Amino acid sequence: MMQAVMVKAEDVQDLMGAAVDRMQELGAEFSDARSQTIRVKGVSSVNGGLRQLVEKSTGGVCLRAWNQGRWGYGTATSFSKQDIMKAAEEAVRNAAGDGRTDLILEPVRVKDHRKADVKIHPDSVDLDEKIQAARDLDRAQAIDDRILNRIGSYSEEVKDVCMVNSIGSDITWQEVRTLCRAMSVAADGQRMERYYDGPDSTLGFEVVRDADIEEIGRITAKEAIATLSADRAPSGNFTVISDPMVSGLLAHEAMGHASEGDEITKRRSFLTDAVGRKVASEVISMYDDGTVRGAHGSIPYDDEGTPSSCTTIIKDGVYQGYMHSLETASVLGCAPTGNGRAENFGKRTWVRMTNTFFGPGDWDREELIADTKDGILCDKMINGMEDPVGGCFEAKCLRGYLIRNGEIVKPLQSFTLTGRSVDILSSADALTKEVILDGGMCGKGIEDWVRVSSGGPYMRARMIVGGGQ
Amino acid sequence: MNSGFAEDVLRRLSGYGQSEVYVSEAVVHTVYIDNSRISNIETKKDSGMMVRIMDGRRQGKASVSLARDSAPDECLRMAESVLRYSPEEDDLKGFVHPAKGRSGSPDVWDRRVEDITPEDLRELAKAVIDSCGVQIPRAQIRVSTNEGVTMNSNGVDVSHRSTLVYGHFTSMTVKDHPGEGMETYHGTHLDLDPAAIGASLTRKAENAAVCTEFKGHEELTMILPPSELGDMITSSVGEAVNGENVMYGRSHWKDSVGSQVASGCLDIVDDPTVRAPLSCVYDDEGMPTERRPIIEKGVLRSFMRDSFCGDSTGNGMRRSSVEAQGAYERTPIIKPLNMVVAPGRYDPEEIIRQTDRGILVEKFAWPEADGLTGRFGLNVRCGHIIRNGEIVGTVNNALLMGNMLEAVNRIEMIGNDPKHMGVISVPTMSFSGTELVGN
Repeated sequence: MMQAVMVKAEDVQDLMGAAVDRMQELGAEFSDARSQTIRVKGVSSVNGGLRQLVEKSTGGVCLRAWNQGRWGYGTATSFSKQDIMKAAEEAVRNAAGDGRTDLILEPVRVKDHRKADVKIHPDSVDLDEKIQAARDLDRAQAIDDRILNRIGSYSEEVKDVCMVNSIGSDITWQEVRTLCRAMSVAADGQRMERYYDGPDSTLGFEVVRDADIEEIGRITAKEAIATLSADRAPSGNFTVISDPMVSGLLAHEAMGHASEGDEITKRRSFLTDAVGRKVASEVISMYDDGTVRGAHGSIPYDDEGTPSSCTTIIKDGVYQGYMHSLETASVLGCAPTGNGRAENFGKRTWVRMTNTFFGPGDWDREELIADTKDGILCDKMINGMEDPVGGCFEAKCLRGYLIRNGEIVKPLQSFTLTGRSVDILSSADALTKEVILDGGMCGKGIEDWVRVSSGGPYMRARMIVGGGQ
Repeated sequence: MNSGFAEDVLRRLSGYGQSEVYVSEAVVHTVYIDNSRISNIETKKDSGMMVRIMDGRRQGKASVSLARDSAPDECLRMAESVLRYSPEEDDLKGFVHPAKGRSGSPDVWDRRVEDITPEDLRELAKAVIDSCGVQIPRAQIRVSTNEGVTMNSNGVDVSHRSTLVYGHFTSMTVKDHPGEGMETYHGTHLDLDPAAIGASLTRKAENAAVCTEFKGHEELTMILPPSELGDMITSSVGEAVNGENVMYGRSHWKDSVGSQVASGCLDIVDDPTVRAPLSCVYDDEGMPTERRPIIEKGVLRSFMRDSFCGDSTGNGMRRSSVEAQGAYERTPIIKPLNMVVAPGRYDPEEIIRQTDRGILVEKFAWPEADGLTGRFGLNVRCGHIIRNGEIVGTVNNALLMGNMLEAVNRIEMIGNDPKHMGVISVPTMSFSGTELVGN
């Protein structure tokens, strides 16, 4: 069994305490120090050959000093005392300058040492089994000559975090993420189409052992082939039933980014001053909840040491509130919500989502389709883009189906959804009972990727649809 | 940069068939602007290494950040361990062999970046803020030094150093229905012009603020400026000429070398010899790079390859054109080094004048075509509607649809205003046969 020797977060705890002391001595009003070691294993198998087999380990320390309403950052990839102290001094120096003196941060003081909530820790599983999972996912897709590329992948990430701050918080925790994925590219001489599937989580290797790898691979290939005969989606304003993945994309892009506290403090969001306002039909409720067990975006603490929590964003169509970091909570006079997140120790911490989703309705999926005279049913998403200023969004769907007189009549190739977020959510009239979350990465603007999930039930609403040629 | 331990690690791997060590080191300074105010400044130091081993038909690979003195040992142990678990493969092509690169490095090092201080960054950010007539809700300027060494057991021993300057700026009017603008800067030198950026941000935000919602559905010509076209070309043409996609059969152009794949007016070269973020003498696997025609007069001339594909063209890159941090973590992948779309002879204004029915897209939500199919359906955040050579309105909340691999066969005009957008330099271009749909 492979077990690399790593820098444990606990090893640098004292050093970080000393760094925080140093930042306070140099005049910081508040300071924190966060060390991370991130270990990643990745396997991918393409067309029966091993394309990628890698183990990575990165580690470093992020030091932040708060002075007069401004953060200064110092980062080191070295765990030596000299380098950490130098970074601490840089952080205080970077925070210097004229600023606001009325912003007081109010972090929660926490002492906690927490292990990852997993049944089978990936460290306890032989690499052979992980390689085999990726290869099995690849092989299971070999069902038809029209499958041009079969990709099976497995990846795990084990992140150890140690956090100390100047009000006495002392936290260590571990986050584990495990995922595997099948992707098929099908071709018929004229067209190429793809499909993907596979589980993701903040759970351990049980995710792989509990998954039906053969079935995931087979279905992925079958659906890629089916998409070859899909028609171009019609364009215009249509009734759309978003599947849980696309519902999640709408929650994330249409309302989620615009509910991030920093967009509100800058008045950059169309939801600024929206608390108490009706922004959706009464069937819509929406949440950001970092505590959902096993979900890809779950975190015990954010990167400022605030415990994660569930923020109700919309309740029965009425807007409720925003997600916050320490800074935005201070500006708006709210409590931090555990949404201050950074891609890693070398990146900026700001307000980010965790698991963002619409709450359930009371319809069944089949009942919803049967009740739709003319419409489009979405099946999986590609990606999306927020528009907090304009109040619109863009959601790209991998494929879908045309519905006529309550029946699915044919598959549709990839298309894009757009529209004004409030108009769309106000037109929503039916949601199904089951909420499903789907993991992914979220960038803010153009970079700063963090792990999130989004989801919801099937949801029916009116949107602009456009199918690429 | 101290790469002595890389030699030592390589020596210790001498018992294996082939081995490679890559070490990178970066110093990154970033200033962030929030709400027209400098909100924080970061200083980052980042260094790490990746080891790759091939032995017989097995391979092992690992990377570590150089967090402490024992990190190289850990990296070596991890790579050896992965190697032991690696299944046997038939098609491992091996690492590159030493070859002489051209003499003379491209001009990619700016001493001003090396010497920059937090105070300098503050001044630069302040100059952008002061020159912008509207709010800057979010922006960053990031400058970095970036050094790397590649050594392998075949005798490759090459190094590279460059500076990177990257700026991303948003702007916003403060009205009841605010408009948003965006501007970017990609380069190796501190030639960022705060006054020009401020003026552009002001103009774009004010244009967006007067947009009206597009209604209807029409076929028209799309005119894309460099800011929107760069990623559209790299995500479509760049993927179609990517050797790995060709090898796996998923490029639509896999059998098209020597064939017409685009309009006869289109010329694209990959040119790492001139100043650009990824220009270099050797790629990140140690292969010499060269100026290489990709498309000449619309005819496909060559693909880009790395050592994994074999017959490398020197396009195996770990470095990013915008971010110096973390190069050591990335397995080499095929990237354009500096894809240059040859500029044409038309001013952008002339392109508008010669367009009967079109849209000049000032801002997409995110410019991107599908890498597999070339399809796109993109939300237009701000677009100018053209009728008979004149702009008659400014619209948003519409989808512009087409297929980029087909659109390059329907090029109408090429502008004379090339601009660097990451790994591509591209001018304004117009394409017929796209569709716009609104509410």
